Amino acid sequence: MESGSNTMERTRQIFFGFLATSLALGPVAVAQKVTRPAPTAADWSALAKLPDFDGVWETVFGGGRGARAAGAPAAPSLTPEYAAKAKALASQAKKAEDNPTANCLPPGLPAIMGQPYPIEILLTPGKVTIVSEAYMQVRHIYTDGRKLPEDPDPSFYGTSVGRWEGDSLVVETVGFQQVPRGISFPYSDKMRIVERFKLTDADTLTIETTIRDPEALTMPYSMGARTFKRHRNWTIAEYICEENNRNFVDEKGKAGINLANPNASTK
Amino acid sequence: MKNGIIIASLVAAGTSLALAHHSAAAFDTSAQKVISGTIKKFDYTNPHTWVWIDVPNDQGGVDTWGVEGMSPNYLARRGWTRTTLKPGDKLTITIRPMKDGDKGGMWVSAKRPDGEVLMMGGAITDP
Repeated sequence: MESGSNTMERTRQIFFGFLATSLALGPVAVAQKVTRPAPTAADWSALAKLPDFDGVWETVFGGGRGARAAGAPAAPSLTPEYAAKAKALASQAKKAEDNPTANCLPPGLPAIMGQPYPIEILLTPGKVTIVSEAYMQVRHIYTDGRKLPEDPDPSFYGTSVGRWEGDSLVVETVGFQQVPRGISFPYSDKMRIVERFKLTDADTLTIETTIRDPEALTMPYSMGARTFKRHRNWTIAEYICEENNRNFVDEKGKAGINLANPNASTK
Repeated sequence: MKNGIIIASLVAAGTSLALAHHSAAAFDTSAQKVISGTIKKFDYTNPHTWVWIDVPNDQGGVDTWGVEGMSPNYLARRGWTRTTLKPGDKLTITIRPMKDGDKGGMWVSAKRPDGEVLMMGGAITDP
């Protein structure tokens, strides 16, 4: 055991080490950031010419995932390396009974777009924001022409940019952490998710999701299109998962329910 | 560790999307059990509502059972409010019981003494 003062001294050295490093790297990090100009009245009025995606959208279940793009395979076509990985994972005897969402960890993209709760889409100059009622999560999609980062920090929802192609919003996302995200095969850190948002009638939106991964897939894999129905009178509700969560999955993958102390929730 | 996480993602892909938050792994989804008693408490909370109901037992006392239901945001769009169930209400609930035999389960449906059936799924009543 080292003494408290030694620990404190080491902490101080580490802190100043970090400080020196961040000062040295600071200007580089700033240079990578995109500074958005203040939106003008013209920028705001230009939004009115875009397809009307604004509002709260119910995730429609029961209609299936819809049609895949023409010629797209129904199953992912894995590279030999990733086919072997998938096989090795499948053969591992003990599978978890549940995933970490039981412990209130939100799922990543694309699963966050397929929850049984609605999403809200907000259009502002240079940006599309998607609020997921499930887990109260937010996606930030930049439509100001910026490029995707070369070496993004991996995250649950990745880093997204969008562009308008006719009536469709095409969103490309990179930088994925290995977390539960509703993808049925092992994927690499080169994975790119492409989503095409399109209105199919006044209050129906479809989002077709395609996965590209040069290391895991021999060709793009289409997950099909998901359908959403707009409700003009809906608002997004609060969803604090930690409020009264009695579900859990432990480190060994065992799922359970905590029935102790009914009075734990005072609501 | 990394493999464990990937397995979890494979499992996640296979679970029902109708359950936002977790699988039904702790419940015996092949069985149903009917319990009758008096509502003790209704937690209108996320990520699940919990109905606590006092059910008479063989020893002349009551056991408190916990029944997991859908979340308030889901139920509110189907006509429920935090006062749909009140302490003191008599209720007969059909549940998917806990696999481990503990006094709990997942809500399937319920019936009040006057015959009113309470479902948690079903059609959206707030269009």
